[in-house]
Amino acid sequence: MQVDIRTKLLIVAIFSVLALTYQDPRALAVIFLLNILTLLAFRVSFNIFVSLKNFIFMYFVLMIIQSFFVRSGEPLIKLGGMYLLTTGGILYGLSIILRFLILAGSGLILVDHNAAELLLGLVKLRVPYEIVFMIQVGIRFIPVFIGELQNVFNTIQLRGVDLRKVYKRKVLRVYVSIFSPLLYSVWQKAEKLSILLELRGFRRFPTRSYYRDISMKKSDYVIICLALVITAALVYVCHKILTL
Amino acid sequence: MAFISLHKVSYTYMGRQKAAVREISLKLDQAEKIAVTGLNGSGKSTLAKLILGLLKPQSGNITLDGRPVGKYSLVEIGEKIGYVLQNPNQMLFNTSVYNEVAFGLKWKGKSKKEIDYLCKKYLDLFELWDLRAELPFNLSEGQKQLVALSAVLALQPRFLILDEPTKSIDTFRKGRLKDILQEIWRRGTGIMVISHDHDFIAKFDDRRIHMAGGEVVEDAG
Repeated sequence: MQVDIRTKLLIVAIFSVLALTYQDPRALAVIFLLNILTLLAFRVSFNIFVSLKNFIFMYFVLMIIQSFFVRSGEPLIKLGGMYLLTTGGILYGLSIILRFLILAGSGLILVDHNAAELLLGLVKLRVPYEIVFMIQVGIRFIPVFIGELQNVFNTIQLRGVDLRKVYKRKVLRVYVSIFSPLLYSVWQKAEKLSILLELRGFRRFPTRSYYRDISMKKSDYVIICLALVITAALVYVCHKILTL
Repeated sequence: MAFISLHKVSYTYMGRQKAAVREISLKLDQAEKIAVTGLNGSGKSTLAKLILGLLKPQSGNITLDGRPVGKYSLVEIGEKIGYVLQNPNQMLFNTSVYNEVAFGLKWKGKSKKEIDYLCKKYLDLFELWDLRAELPFNLSEGQKQLVALSAVLALQPRFLILDEPTKSIDTFRKGRLKDILQEIWRRGTGIMVISHDHDFIAKFDDRRIHMAGGEVVEDAG
C-alpha cells in the first residue's frame, strides 16, 4: 500500500512534537516503542537500523556527559564532595538518547520516498516554494559537500600529511587552514547556482508546473485518523506514567 | 616485478547495476609512459582511484611495489604516486597559490629556502609565479589545473597519474606541459595519462590502454 508523503509527514511531525514535549524516560520509551511499531508497519528496511549502530558509542558518551551535569537523584560516583555520576544524570542522559532515537526513527519513515516526492508534498502543504527549494538544494548539496571534503582530505594525505599521526595542535592548524578556502568554494558554488537558476528562468512566473502529482487516497485519511487516535491515547498513557 | 599490478579487479559503485571496472588485469612498470583512453564512463578514473586506494575493489587484488595497496596508508601511497584529479577544485584548499605548492613540502620537513626554491621552480614552469599570492579559487579553471599539477610535481613522486590534465588549459601551456612531463619521465618518473586529447597523449602512448564498458579492450605498446 502506497501511503501519501503528506500522511507520513504528519506522523513524523507528531513523533517529533511528542519527543520534544516529554522529558521522562519512561514516557519517551513508550513513544520510542510506538515509533518502532510504526516503522515496522511502514516496512522500513532493517538495514537502516544497522547503520545506526555506528552512533551507539556516541549515545553512551552523551549519556555519561549529561550525567556529570545533572545533580538530581542518588549519587553513584562521588569524588570528595563532588558528585560525578548520579541516577538522575543517567536518566537524563537516557532521555536525550531516546529523544534522539525517536527523532531519527521518525525521519526513517520517509526513506522510501525520493526527494522530489518530499518536496512536492511540502508544496502541496502550502509551504512557500522558496523554502521548499532551499530544502531541495540542501538535500542535494550535503552529499556533494561531504564528497568534496573527502577529496580534500584525500589530497592532504596524498601530499604527505598523515592526519592520524600529526600532533593534535597541528591537526587543528590544518583544519583551520582549509576551513576558509572551503567555505569560500561553497559560497562560490552557491553564487554560481543562483546565476544558473536565474538564467534558466527561476521564479520568472509566480507559479510553476510539476511533472509528478500526488493525491491522498481513502487509506491516507484512515491512517491520519488512526494516527490522531493513537496520539491521543499515547498522550493519556504518558500522562498516567508521569503521575505514577 | 611490476610497480603496479592489478589482478582481476572489479568495482561497482553503490546503487549501480553495472560494474565501473570489470575483471581488469594489468602490470605497470615504474618507468613507463602510459596513455589510458576511452569514452566517458568507460572506467578510466575509477581505475586510477583503485590504484591509489581511494576505492577498494570488490574482487581481485592490486599491489603497489610488491605490497597490496590496502596495506598502505594514503600518505604512503602519496609518497610513491602523485595524482592530479580531473577536477582541480577538489584539490585546492589553501589560501594562496604559493601555500598550495608549499603545503606538502612543509609537511615533508623541507627548509624555508628549499620550499621557496621548489615553489618558484614549479610555478615558473607554467608561468604562475606572479600569481603566487592569489587565492587559488579565483584563478581560471586552466590555471587551477596547473597549480594542482605544480603542487604534485613539487613533491617529486616516483609515478604520476594525471586524470584529464589538459581539460581546460590553453594550447600554449598544453605544449609546455607535454615537454615538462616528457622531461620528468626522462629523469625516471613513470607517467600514466588519462585523456581524450589525442594530440596530447601522442607523446605518452609508449603504451596505450583503451577501455570500454569497464574493461581493457586494448593494451598495446
